[in-house]
Amino acid sequence: MFGYVIRRLLSICLTFFIVSMLLFVMMHAIPGGPFDATDMPLNEAAKAKILEKYGLDQPLYVQYLKYMWGVLHFDFGIPYQSPGETVLELLGRAWIPSLVLGGAGVLIGAPLGIALGLMAALRRNSWIDYLTSAIATIGFTIPVFVTSMLLILVFAVWLNWLPASGWGEPRKWILPIAAYSAIPMATYARYTRSAMLDTLNKPFVNVLRAKGLPEHKVIFQHVLRNSAIPMVTVFLPMFIGTATGSIFVEAMFRVPGLGAYFVSSIVTRDYPLEMALILMITVMFCFAYFLADVAYALLNPRIRLGGKGPK
Amino acid sequence: MINLDTVAPLGASQVSPLLVSAENLPIARNPLYYAWRRFLANRGAVFSGSVLALILLMAVFAPLITSTSYEEQKFLTENLAFPSSEHWFGVDDLGRDFYTRIIYGGRISLSIGFVAAAFSVIIGLPLGALAGYYGGVVDWVIMRIIEIFSVVPPLMAALLLAALAGGGFVSIVVIAALFGWVQVCLLVRGQVMAFRNKEFIRAAQALGASPQFIIFRHLVPNSISPVIVGFVQAIPLAMMLEAGLSFLGVGIAPPLPSWGQMINLGINFMFFYWHLALFPTLALAITVLSTTLFGDGLRDALDPTLKG
Repeated sequence: MFGYVIRRLLSICLTFFIVSMLLFVMMHAIPGGPFDATDMPLNEAAKAKILEKYGLDQPLYVQYLKYMWGVLHFDFGIPYQSPGETVLELLGRAWIPSLVLGGAGVLIGAPLGIALGLMAALRRNSWIDYLTSAIATIGFTIPVFVTSMLLILVFAVWLNWLPASGWGEPRKWILPIAAYSAIPMATYARYTRSAMLDTLNKPFVNVLRAKGLPEHKVIFQHVLRNSAIPMVTVFLPMFIGTATGSIFVEAMFRVPGLGAYFVSSIVTRDYPLEMALILMITVMFCFAYFLADVAYALLNPRIRLGGKGPK
Repeated sequence: MINLDTVAPLGASQVSPLLVSAENLPIARNPLYYAWRRFLANRGAVFSGSVLALILLMAVFAPLITSTSYEEQKFLTENLAFPSSEHWFGVDDLGRDFYTRIIYGGRISLSIGFVAAAFSVIIGLPLGALAGYYGGVVDWVIMRIIEIFSVVPPLMAALLLAALAGGGFVSIVVIAALFGWVQVCLLVRGQVMAFRNKEFIRAAQALGASPQFIIFRHLVPNSISPVIVGFVQAIPLAMMLEAGLSFLGVGIAPPLPSWGQMINLGINFMFFYWHLALFPTLALAITVLSTTLFGDGLRDALDPTLKG
């Protein structure tokens, strides 16, 4: 276990450096630069001065090494589009809408999905089972900006119940949260249903029923608990995926979150912000998968990490 | 819940020799025959396959079923007209028949889906076969590459790549293939690993066959089911990527029609001219959904053990 943790951490570091290097090269390879004449008409001397200030006049590998040295000290630089604050301050500010909407989406979608999956597994081949499969399939396959568009058309344009876009008052949060909750709901409905069915077919359930245990105790104390392991482990990666915002949902509902800042950072060639956003999300995903694997091993003693244990 | 009619019969070794005679000898049929039978038994898959076939036909024969071209501003006097018997989906903001634009948008979307899926197979099949057959260092390197693809948010990377490549048909296909090969590679790798230690591979090795021969003559033909499944499953992913990038303005550039691009435009008009938002959204939803369901049905039919 200890060796496994060390190896995984080293592998995360390797991934981090490869991703950072690829990104840095790719970002600078895009034609044009952040202080080009179209956006900011500057004379040569002023432009040279600015490039020098941000270190953009140096060779690429020097810029990369300097950047990585800063990252090791948690210094991600200054965003060009808002020079009055650091990248970390801007991210802290922009993350709030994404975290509120995405977090609420997961916290609402996941329990709903679990409930649906539970009912579907207990009433197999009933209407609720078919409804659950339909929701799971649609939630998985339809892109989130299509769901968002349909939500806006129905609830904002035709029924005129809710505002279509914006950020601020909680009434405006309802539609984006609904859009965000689609994927967690679909994921959990599917996982819960298949995990429950898997456990229900195990011999120990027959034993519990044969010894006369009430059905609700069989389901909630034994079957659900034994099916919970895969459900616990998918939570963290999914939470990261949703709570770091979606470019589409934020573009659709005009929410000033991380996704919106990512698009603007690409358009305005805001190198420090672009790097910080992708690296931050990449590292969070790495750790989410890592923790999910560790949690899986801790919850299920039959699993041996690292493939060294008895099969 | 296995339907006994649709399950392939067990091999001849299971039949007692006493029973074998000309009359009751099980008819040996191609495995694809049984896959086809299993597919036909799945009503949802057959239905979505028919819908997909219909959309494909409409896209292929677009000039025959539309009256104007997708860029002809023939109806400028009827700008933003609502759906009618003459213009089934209305007229867009530049006086073009919206039904025509949606049909041609399907052409773009489906051709990107199929071409990108083909490239996903071209990249994923050899890498998956190599990783599965050799294992060890080769497998480690390929799996690390896949790990990078699984932790980098795909859309963000795609957006950067699209900015780098400048959008357009070719660069979207390349980007979609770059993210689509991972699934094909994993499917092929799993299949090859399962077959690597089978007797016929051992026999080929013992007879001195070279690794290339074993991979391309024995392992790749045996991976045809996961390859078909991976191919079909890569199509909707590529279509969604195209729609997403076009939605954000870095994909297919106007006047070429793309559903994602039309959805983006539709937001601006949705409060008054809802048809500009609704029809591209529905077209994308129906196409992606039917392709995915068709792919799932194909997967269950070709290899019931892959069912997730």
